[in-house]
Amino acid sequence: MRALFALSSANLRSFIRDRAALFWTLAFPITFVILFGTIFSGGGADYRLGWVDQDQSQQSQALRAAFAENAPVELIDGTYEEAKAKMLDGDVDGILVIPRGLAVVIDAAHAGQTPDPVSVSIITDPSRSNTALALQQIATGLVMSANLALSGAQPLLTVAPETLQTARLNSVSFFVPSILGMALMQLGVFASIPLVQQREKGILKRLNATPLPRWALVGSNVVVRLIIAATQTALILGIGVAVLGVEITGNWPLIIGFVALGALTFTSIGYVIASFAKTEEAANGMTSIVQFPLMFLSGIFFPLEVMPEWLRGVATFMPLTYLGDALRQTMVGGAPFQPLPIDALVLGGWLVVTLAISARFFRWQ
Amino acid sequence: MDRPPLTADSSRAFSAAALLGRPGLEAVIDVEDVRKSYGSLKAVDGVSFSVAKGEIFGLLGPNGAGKTTTMEMIEGLHQPDSGQIRVLDMDVRQQSAAIKHRVGVQLQTAALYPQLTVEELLALFGQFFDRRQPVDRLLVDLELEEKRKAQTKTLSGGQRQRLSVALALVNDPEVVFLDEPTTGLDPAARQRLWNVVRRLKSEGRTILMTTHYMEEAEALCDRLAIMDHGKVLESGTVEEIIGRRFQERGVHFGRKGAPEEDKLKALPGVSRVAYESDEVVLYTKDVPATIGGLLELTTRARTEPANLMIRRASLEDVFLELTGRALRD
Repeated sequence: MRALFALSSANLRSFIRDRAALFWTLAFPITFVILFGTIFSGGGADYRLGWVDQDQSQQSQALRAAFAENAPVELIDGTYEEAKAKMLDGDVDGILVIPRGLAVVIDAAHAGQTPDPVSVSIITDPSRSNTALALQQIATGLVMSANLALSGAQPLLTVAPETLQTARLNSVSFFVPSILGMALMQLGVFASIPLVQQREKGILKRLNATPLPRWALVGSNVVVRLIIAATQTALILGIGVAVLGVEITGNWPLIIGFVALGALTFTSIGYVIASFAKTEEAANGMTSIVQFPLMFLSGIFFPLEVMPEWLRGVATFMPLTYLGDALRQTMVGGAPFQPLPIDALVLGGWLVVTLAISARFFRWQ
Repeated sequence: MDRPPLTADSSRAFSAAALLGRPGLEAVIDVEDVRKSYGSLKAVDGVSFSVAKGEIFGLLGPNGAGKTTTMEMIEGLHQPDSGQIRVLDMDVRQQSAAIKHRVGVQLQTAALYPQLTVEELLALFGQFFDRRQPVDRLLVDLELEEKRKAQTKTLSGGQRQRLSVALALVNDPEVVFLDEPTTGLDPAARQRLWNVVRRLKSEGRTILMTTHYMEEAEALCDRLAIMDHGKVLESGTVEEIIGRRFQERGVHFGRKGAPEEDKLKALPGVSRVAYESDEVVLYTKDVPATIGGLLELTTRARTEPANLMIRRASLEDVFLELTGRALRD
């Protein structure tokens, strides 16, 4: 035990002092979380809309206030020319023009007349079809509710936007467990590198010339990987919760259990690599080759339903599919792909099989 | 100095029984007819020798002679295909862990954690053993004090080798294995390491070392075995090994003003006269008689032999004689 502790602490110190390894295992997933979080964070002021008020009336300002409050847009005031220049520069996504005469028409309507309608223009960029469509819908919605309000009628139908999954599960909540799964996978398969390095440098052989038992040697590697996995998990979840507003709904013992099981399974896959790679370069190459299919052929970034049939078949065997599934279920209450015991069973199966392969083929020198 | 006896069969010269038969001598390492093949290559082909307590025993030979493989089998890092190895009266196969607690190993590839400091590494290795020496003492003994806080990747070649030896000493071992400890070192660094090895001996430790430097074997080893192609060709003390092959010594002196050849040939003990670039060499079995006669000749001629020197054959000559090759090939 004393030897295990000493060796773990030495390995951990080596790891912390190796800046490159530290960067890849800690900074990389964090960057990933922040990047994804920025891309997928929904709900705020998503669009910037040039607001051109040619009427300059009380009514047009009331409309602006109502719009700013209800629509997911940030309004940039200015003349039509200014707004156009900004749109050409990409500073605003579209322009909404309130024409002269709005106040006159509204006043007339209040007076019970039926004046000719005024036309509110929405100018969008057809090359950005999603944005154009969204802005047109926003503008239409604005005009319709204005009409409704002006006509004094009670709305009969409303739309309540909901998704099929739990109400809270926005896309960030979907991605944070995926990123955690990916980080654990990388951490694990990269476990091959220090091991192959130590073998190449003769460190394993040197340790073998001491009475240090082999279980302590392997054990210290695993301990270090688990400590790093815990640190990664804390960082990723910390950022997810504090910065991106992800709510962890699940039960902590289960989360910790699956993080540990995932780290062990992928570390064991890393040991398989270390069993077959003779040099550090070979281990690097094999690790890259292994990690990309593990990552992209598993359902962690794309839901399995959108994959072509054959790919879904492959993904059904990938351990990361199950780790991602388990983490999503336990952390944010995501819809299950498989029940948790099945996830645990598949991961455990991979662990046992890869351990057996390493035990059979690993060379100490 | 106590030296074990020689027998005719050099590969079996120092069996444990022979050593133990002499009072006060105890075989600490006993290797008997050990073989190890890698595919068709016979890396070690029937090697036997014994190392007595407190001596420095050297395995001398060119690269690829099987020295390191032999040593690493004794250290328990490889299993021999056949043969017996006992260390400290324990079987290497069965009591490997117990042996490892009492021996110290320095490997040819200095295996270090590049990011750990010298003292951290020494402390780490100390944790693997039942018995250990204070890190401070190791740092003093191996002149690494000012490097104690340095990461091992920043060390020079000589410092790295000394650290590698220090690592072999963390458990205060009774037996120390040194595999080519001075390879690649400059002469000053090599001298420093030789002093360390001599001190280890003076502390009563038994040392088994490999080297392909003849001077190193001559300077350090009480006894040695010359190896080539996986076999022990000769073993014994340096004097015994040379004496067995070369009874004659060379009396060298300056060629300028030397007596004529026929007079030299007639000197007592001289079997042959050779002329090398600016030297005359008299090969003789009786050095005092030959030199006496030579001095008589020169005194009569009112001169004296310039740069007079007696040279015996070297291990290099023995190796050349045994294999037809120079050791450094």
